[in-house]
Amino acid sequence: MDHTKCAIVSLTALLTGFVATVGAVDYEHEIKPLLASKCGSCHGALNHESGLRLDAGVLILEGGNNGAVVEPGDADASLLLARISSGDPDERMPPEGEVEPLDAEQIALIAAWINQGAEFPADETIPANPREHWAYQQPVRPVVPEVDDPLWSHPIDAFIAQHHKRQDLTPVGMADRHTLLRRLYLDLIGLPPTREQQRKFGANDSAEALLGEIDSLLDNSHYGERWGRHWMDVWRYSDWSGYGKEVRDSQKHIWHWRDWIVNSLNADKGYDQMILEMLAGDEVAPNDPEVLAATGFLARNYRNNNRDMWLDATVEHTAKAFLGLTINCARCHEHKYDPISQQAYYHFRAIFEPHSVRLDQLSDQSNLEKNGLPRAFDADLSAETYLYHGGNEKQPDKEHPMTPAVPAIFGGNFEISPIALSVDSYYPALLPHVVKSQLVAARAKLDEAKTALAAATDEDKKDADAKPADVRLLELKETAAQLGLQSLEARLAADRVKYGNDKTASELALVEPARAAAVAERRLKAHEAVVTVRDKEGALRAAEAGDEKNAKRKEQAVTNAKKELDEAWKKLTAAQSALANTDDKYTAVGKEYPRTSSGRRSALARWIVGGENPLTARVAVNHLWLRHFGAPLVDNVFDFGLRSLRPRHADLLDWLAVELMENNWSMKHLHRLILTSRTWQLASTTSEPATTNHQSDPDNHFLWRANIRRLEAEIVRDGVLAVSEQLDSALGGADIDYQQGEVSRRRSIYLRHAYEKQMTMLVQFDAASPNECYRRSESIIPQQALALTNSSLSLGHSRTLAKQLWEEVAKDDGAQEIFVQEAYRQILSRPPTEKETSLCLDFLTNQATSLSDTENLTAFRGGSEAAVKPSTNPQQRARENLVHVLMNHNDFVITR
Amino acid sequence: MSHHNRQPRSIVDRHSNRRNFLFGTGLSLGSVALSSMLHRDALAATDEKTVPRGLTHFTPRAKSVIWLFMIGGTSHLESFDPKPALNEYAGKTFTETPLGHVLESPFLENERVVAFDPDNGFVRKTCYPLQVGFQKRGESGLEISDWWPHVGDCADELCLIRSMWTEDSNHGAQLQFHTGRHRIDGFFPTIGSWATYGLGSLNENLPEFVVMGTPLADCCGGQEAHRANYLGPQYDGIPLQVDPENSMLYLAPEKEVYVEEQQKQFGLLEKLNRLTAEQYPDDQGIQARIRAYELAFRMQSTIPEVVDLESETAATRQAYGLDQEETKTFGQQMLTARRLVERGVRFVQVYHGNNGGAGNWDAHGNLKNGHSKMCRQVDQPIGALLKDLKQRGLLDETLVVWATEFGRTPGSQGTNGRDHHPYGFTVWMAGSGIKGGIVHGATDELGFHAVENRHYVTDVHATVLHQLGLDPRRLVVPGRQRLERDFGHPIREIVA
Repeated sequence: MDHTKCAIVSLTALLTGFVATVGAVDYEHEIKPLLASKCGSCHGALNHESGLRLDAGVLILEGGNNGAVVEPGDADASLLLARISSGDPDERMPPEGEVEPLDAEQIALIAAWINQGAEFPADETIPANPREHWAYQQPVRPVVPEVDDPLWSHPIDAFIAQHHKRQDLTPVGMADRHTLLRRLYLDLIGLPPTREQQRKFGANDSAEALLGEIDSLLDNSHYGERWGRHWMDVWRYSDWSGYGKEVRDSQKHIWHWRDWIVNSLNADKGYDQMILEMLAGDEVAPNDPEVLAATGFLARNYRNNNRDMWLDATVEHTAKAFLGLTINCARCHEHKYDPISQQAYYHFRAIFEPHSVRLDQLSDQSNLEKNGLPRAFDADLSAETYLYHGGNEKQPDKEHPMTPAVPAIFGGNFEISPIALSVDSYYPALLPHVVKSQLVAARAKLDEAKTALAAATDEDKKDADAKPADVRLLELKETAAQLGLQSLEARLAADRVKYGNDKTASELALVEPARAAAVAERRLKAHEAVVTVRDKEGALRAAEAGDEKNAKRKEQAVTNAKKELDEAWKKLTAAQSALANTDDKYTAVGKEYPRTSSGRRSALARWIVGGENPLTARVAVNHLWLRHFGAPLVDNVFDFGLRSLRPRHADLLDWLAVELMENNWSMKHLHRLILTSRTWQLASTTSEPATTNHQSDPDNHFLWRANIRRLEAEIVRDGVLAVSEQLDSALGGADIDYQQGEVSRRRSIYLRHAYEKQMTMLVQFDAASPNECYRRSESIIPQQALALTNSSLSLGHSRTLAKQLWEEVAKDDGAQEIFVQEAYRQILSRPPTEKETSLCLDFLTNQATSLSDTENLTAFRGGSEAAVKPSTNPQQRARENLVHVLMNHNDFVITR
Repeated sequence: MSHHNRQPRSIVDRHSNRRNFLFGTGLSLGSVALSSMLHRDALAATDEKTVPRGLTHFTPRAKSVIWLFMIGGTSHLESFDPKPALNEYAGKTFTETPLGHVLESPFLENERVVAFDPDNGFVRKTCYPLQVGFQKRGESGLEISDWWPHVGDCADELCLIRSMWTEDSNHGAQLQFHTGRHRIDGFFPTIGSWATYGLGSLNENLPEFVVMGTPLADCCGGQEAHRANYLGPQYDGIPLQVDPENSMLYLAPEKEVYVEEQQKQFGLLEKLNRLTAEQYPDDQGIQARIRAYELAFRMQSTIPEVVDLESETAATRQAYGLDQEETKTFGQQMLTARRLVERGVRFVQVYHGNNGGAGNWDAHGNLKNGHSKMCRQVDQPIGALLKDLKQRGLLDETLVVWATEFGRTPGSQGTNGRDHHPYGFTVWMAGSGIKGGIVHGATDELGFHAVENRHYVTDVHATVLHQLGLDPRRLVVPGRQRLERDFGHPIREIVA
């Protein structure tokens, strides 16, 4: 740009002492972004204070309640310029404290633009008011369209048929019964139908037969596993990750949350209730471990080294999962698209600020490395939330702590009331199973000490060759264990008074038990000090008598032992003089947590599932639809903001959203509705590759057919186990080492799933990233082929299956052909065609011949020992090969 | 098919006779099937911002990339960017020298810390002298340290970029060097996956993106430094071991399977799948799956063949250092890298220096011993690779990149080490139309800040993609917003 060509000296600029030289001004690139950043929040599409909008040229010229603000060609006569350059802080725009005022150069730029005629592109679009965005309006149940064809009268079909008509699309026919049954089983329980189930269904082609199947599959506990995995994607399930024992992400034993998901789905718990329990189980049912497990949703966000990342993830994924809202985009600055200010981000964060994660003891197992319940709780009710300037945690705005709030644009009630917790919740150390495990451990210690003493003194039990034991030491240890038990009992007694329900008990009532506990504790400590001294004396004697040849080393060992003995004596002296104390300061048995929960998270959950929230039900319906049809109704499943245009099937989405809410948020209700629609039951392919349908709607946006879908990673692995009848159907339990993935027969949902801890075969089939996966991909890559060809899993199980199938049919006439047919049914859930049968029979013959001729066979290089050996009979080995081929068949990893 | 418009004398032609197995019935292929299989270079794509279909945006200079990454942070000061001032002022604090202004530079603001490390990641302020001498090398006279004699022999091929900077003063910078994003921002597609996403395969026998050496440790990005993230697993780097018996997961079946047996199985599978394809002619996935099985089958024999280095001459094996314990491992990887690009693999990423943590190049102490040892492991093999590629005419179409996550502090840490240094460091490139024997950019006199022609890591990515014929701004995925900085700018000054 030539900066000298068109020098402007405006009056205002002169007044402020600034002389600018500005060239031809570019509205699009210079003025529009400047006005947006300085004036946009009050004079834009969302807010138009004083009736003035400055976000489009035509609106700028239109002016506001105070008339025109711009006189094209005359900056000095323009109100806009007067206001932005005013010296009076009450007059000047933008107002003090909201946005930095414009500097002289920026003022000169706007002056120049006005003086040059205030031009803007004629085709400039006027931004719509974000409030009017389709997804921000409460869904209202639309009228189901009238349809002529009774086959399309189901409400879902009616909406779809209307589109077919408008788009001039002719839907394909229904899927054949084999395809339909396989699709149904894989859809609902993630396992293919058995041959028996296929026969039963094949024998009854009434509509009731399908309804019966749908109902029985919805009652099948595998349903919870199948759909549980879907929701685990959305809710970011991750087992713990970290080095050694150190947890870096998520929590140990987070599988309790996984089991809660599976069980809740099987019980058809309302989606609203599920959200409430996941966000605030500790507030709505603080004493119920079954509900507390739900807060694994929050516990999963734990990061060991960074609280900001922890809360950022919590904010981001709560909003994405339940609301389809990318509030995370407002962490550093205003949201670029949606009406979410940076403040709104930190208000939302403040809801989570008090919470933290703890491991509760669940049963008699007091070793929390082995089991425990990771759960959320409010740990610090006074924790402040500060806005970080530019999202930089080094620049918190400590002047203005942020209150907990939800973005106002969505309306609804967000009312916080603190929740008083019961002692079981804030002082879990007195729960019967916790007390019991402590006492059991103390008694075990005592028994152990007694046994050791008896072994040393009892002539019968003595080991003649053993070194003479220090009987005195063992006696001392026995007494220590005795005192340990007494101390524990005394402290428990004091705790019971302190945390007891008897509100009338005075402070005085505590004094005696507390004093007793303090005395018992001091006695224990003093006695333990005696034990240590005795122990160190022995160590010193051993060092002195030791057969260490190196004099220097020996001397060093003796010196060290003396030093330790001195230390022990010092501690003993201190502990003994402490015995004279009479105070009542004892150590409580467990940790006390806050007695109140802020109530913020339950308020959030109630706002999310409150009927006024326009997003929640729509987002849920979209996730369900995606997983039934392979394509969602709203393309970006986690962003229903302004970048998501009104979807093609908005009416259907709204109808389903209202249907969900009005039916107690029952997912099974929605599943049944969808599965009984003709739309879901359509065939996926046509015999003609180039119909007019293909031309006008190649991507099947209007559902004139079903979508062919690649099965999810877990379903591929589970399928291998299921068709070979090796699947262990046990439900729930601790996560299984992912490296056991080829050996374990449990469903894949139970394999450890965390950063760097995922079974490779599952990753190759697009398993969810533990970090974020709102929608799976369906890739087709050679590694998948290699995994299904060469894994021990597919090789071993195909051999086992071939053996079973052959034993079943061997005695029949034409056994070989029956084998082929049964193998097809078993693996691909359909009978083979004639051509397929004949190809397979030819293969069996040729392969058996070839395998008999071992001279001309070359073994593969490498490879581990076979888990299941191939048959030594060439005919049987050929059958194993056939089964293995069918497990690699295209149709094994898809649903049609 | 309209895609036979290949460049003459390409790698593809030399190997196209391998396309003879299981090629079947001539069904027309869907676009999905095409995406990973065909030879698509040298065809200009349109200007549209769409998901690429393997067409370059302009004439490529490179067919393949060999990307060498030193884990832990190689000292630029003891390698490729000599600073005599450090010797002159040895033991003096920066403020005692005329160069103390480096501590007031606004560039210091670029640092972003994830988790504060109380021991490492500080600006060190006392000049630590250079621990090794430098020589002018080749006709160009590039100054390269005495720890890099073999690489130094190839000075006239090298373009030293002495003005790199990054943000993370801890080892998350390793991930950042591959994704262009700070560790705190999460995981993103890596340079190798963008390249293969943009171009697809040159061959039908091998994967497009191969990884060798032990990857980054979990601390610093782990496997994510060669993964494709939202681009999908088909663009993940595939780990390869230089061991014919055990080169890749699931590459061979368990024991007691015969090659002929499996070949017949693949034959039957292909026939059965084709029958199904006839029944469902608009099912594109089945075509892609048939192709995936063809490639999988071939990989079973081609990959053991690639890593079978016995077929190389004794002279070659010796040149790469396969006969010495110290250079053997990296030498095998370098030789395999050459064999991979020779066979049309697009992107070969090789890690060096994994120690389960920050990396063996992380010289907080004992820099002299540590670095000289690390250099001995890689110098000869890298030198041999460059010479071998050149001799075979492959250097013209192969871009070699040598990189590390950051440099090391001009100031001393402890008595004999250097700390992490994100403000200025060196990487180099060679081959495929990159100007050889030149230095681009510079750090200040202390080697502290990159001051001339500063480059953030994505400029390296952009340059790599540019040499491959790709414009990163046109590599977009619908629904995935990329930041302006993610794209970087090709370093045009170094392109011949």
